[in-house]
Amino acid sequence: MTATQGRVPAAVAAEPAPARGRRTGPARVAYGYWWWCIPAVLLTGTTIYVTTVSGAFFAFTNWSGIGSFDFIGIDNFVRIFRTPELLGSLTNTLGLAIGYLVFSNVIGILFALALNRTLKTRYILRTLIFMPVVLSPIAVSFVWKFIFAFDGPLNQTLGAVGLKGLQQDWLASPALALGCVLTVMVWQNIGFVMVTYLAGLATVPPELEEAAALDGAGTWRRFRSITLPMIQPSIAIATTLSLIQGLRVFDQVAALTGGGPDNATQTLASEIYQQTFTYQQFGFGAAMALMLSALILIFTIAQQRVTRDRTEIGA
Amino acid sequence: MPQHTTRRVRQVAALAVATAVGVSLAACSSGSGGASASSSAKEPQTFSFAFSEANTSDTSARQVADAFMKAHPGVTIQFQKLPAESYAQAIATRIQGGNAPDAFEAESGIGQADSIQPFAKAGLLLELANPQIKTDLAPAGIDQFSYGGKVYAVSRGSGVNGIIYNDVAAKGAGISLTGSSTFNEVLNGCAAAKAKGKSLFGLAGSIPANTSILAHEIATSTVYGPDPKWNAERNAGKVKFATTQGWTDALNAIKTLSDKGCFQPGAGGAGFDALTNGSSSGKLFGFFAPGGAAASIEAASGGHVKLTVLPFPAPAGVKTYASVSSDEAIAASAKTKSPKLVEEFLAYIASPEGQKIISTGTGFPIGSKDASQLPSTYQDVAPVVISGDTRSFPPLEWANGKVNDDLGAGIQGILNGQKTAAQVLQQMDTDWG
Repeated sequence: MTATQGRVPAAVAAEPAPARGRRTGPARVAYGYWWWCIPAVLLTGTTIYVTTVSGAFFAFTNWSGIGSFDFIGIDNFVRIFRTPELLGSLTNTLGLAIGYLVFSNVIGILFALALNRTLKTRYILRTLIFMPVVLSPIAVSFVWKFIFAFDGPLNQTLGAVGLKGLQQDWLASPALALGCVLTVMVWQNIGFVMVTYLAGLATVPPELEEAAALDGAGTWRRFRSITLPMIQPSIAIATTLSLIQGLRVFDQVAALTGGGPDNATQTLASEIYQQTFTYQQFGFGAAMALMLSALILIFTIAQQRVTRDRTEIGA
Repeated sequence: MPQHTTRRVRQVAALAVATAVGVSLAACSSGSGGASASSSAKEPQTFSFAFSEANTSDTSARQVADAFMKAHPGVTIQFQKLPAESYAQAIATRIQGGNAPDAFEAESGIGQADSIQPFAKAGLLLELANPQIKTDLAPAGIDQFSYGGKVYAVSRGSGVNGIIYNDVAAKGAGISLTGSSTFNEVLNGCAAAKAKGKSLFGLAGSIPANTSILAHEIATSTVYGPDPKWNAERNAGKVKFATTQGWTDALNAIKTLSDKGCFQPGAGGAGFDALTNGSSSGKLFGFFAPGGAAASIEAASGGHVKLTVLPFPAPAGVKTYASVSSDEAIAASAKTKSPKLVEEFLAYIASPEGQKIISTGTGFPIGSKDASQLPSTYQDVAPVVISGDTRSFPPLEWANGKVNDDLGAGIQGILNGQKTAAQVLQQMDTDWG
């Protein structure tokens, strides 16, 4: 069905227009002219790329955000690697990004599989699971902060069910705070990942799975040999976006812990904000931002290579 | 973000009483005004004035502007009230962008987003050449309002950083603390409160500004009491945090308070909401903040809540000093089209008459040792202020804001067992550079 329709070439689908004037070759649909894109290219170039390059320029200065500055070469970058707390932030960032990628995708795909076809209440359940995605991350994080508070609902619930021994000062414990941040991030992203995978699952023909089942393939075998390869593009999209979001996490950290306790949950993005706007070290902050951008680029390319559609390679 | 403490805590004060009803402060004397407006007659007689208000009763900035306008017929001041929580970033962005109001609230010294000295260095602030301003500012210490020997801002008044204490509620639990109580009496009070299922103090452990202000209140006695020039010596490299016994004693005192159960359960991860909830529900009897918070809460509660400000008692064997800050300031833009008129306005704020009005938001007029000028909430701390046993708020002269941030974050680390006092102090030395 959809797969067949998807392969119909656009030129065949569209009725060829009659040739006019001197045009004697095959009929073509004129979609526009190349220069029509100039405004969009200029707008994107000036608002994104020029400003990014300007920011990168300040990474090589000691600008405080006010007044003049001096060029200091790569001093800011050297300082990044010589500051132990920044290396801690880098570790936290990578840990959160990987955890976010793994947990939100694993849970997201499980929900997508569960709510794909048979369940009657699947539409309402999909809506409920997707709902956190539309909420503001800051607002959601403040609600979770209340839940995690020492005298908050989580500890109260644990106490009510006789698990007082499990009560914790969740956001004040260095061992638990990062996990709390990750929990909130994953909780809010599951709906988005689920929808991405549902879109992918819609392209898997039920007939194919039925045929495999008749041939004796079990659930796991059908998932591994049919479903997983066919939703490869969805996996690439969901994991790439999760990785990027995980690497640049800021809102949840700012609202839940503020980088504490004692910098235990500080990430690169929160460090950039702190160095730039709190300590007014715009040059140093720009250097860190440049590094984070490079890090996201490297990880995204690597991740894209890992999750690319192998069937296209041989095509 | 140490000096933001004042503004933020006053913001919290507004939230402390959920059913707070805004009340107007008593109208202050109109006065005769300062210098004549004739000297600035050719300039535009309308200028803008930006400030933040912590709550509906925090109208001291408006009041001083109203008094100035009354004394200078024909002059109009356009108020620009900005949100308190984002004030520093907002005003800094406007100053940097060349879009500053003619006059605006800022922070004295260096190290904060809206501190005046970086702006003065960049030539963005109006120099205040009126010699009377220098004379009026002298009691608060002229350096924090100056750059390169020139004055660029005036003070909003002084305030004691201490324990905002609900004596009535504490007495109900059998606890009695006064301005002359000792550290051991505080510890006894902690035990008494704990026995009743309450806490003597609330601490927002996740907010570095709150934990650091407690450290400053104690270090005022253990460090700056015996050595008032400690900051200058640190700047010269003669002393260090890690090797100064007073700093170790201050942090150890906080650890002792924590170990003895003086703070509410979960203090290490608590935010300001824990203070407001704990105070309003009667679960705790005091917290650490600039003294102006006491008056704000009282006013916001319509007089239903009575609070007092206590100096934090020094550990045994050390004399108690009160931490007094005059960090909140008013400055003016170098681009103002009414430089003489705006300078007159700032001179009025710095004058005793202007200070009497504007200092209602902070505590008392700069340098005042007159008991009659101290607010009613200062009854317990008044003897210390009048006797001059006070020291300036330490971070105003520190090298950068990170030193104080790491003090606050480090105390959270001490409470959670992440760090020792020695590690926190070593980090602060590293930050100083």
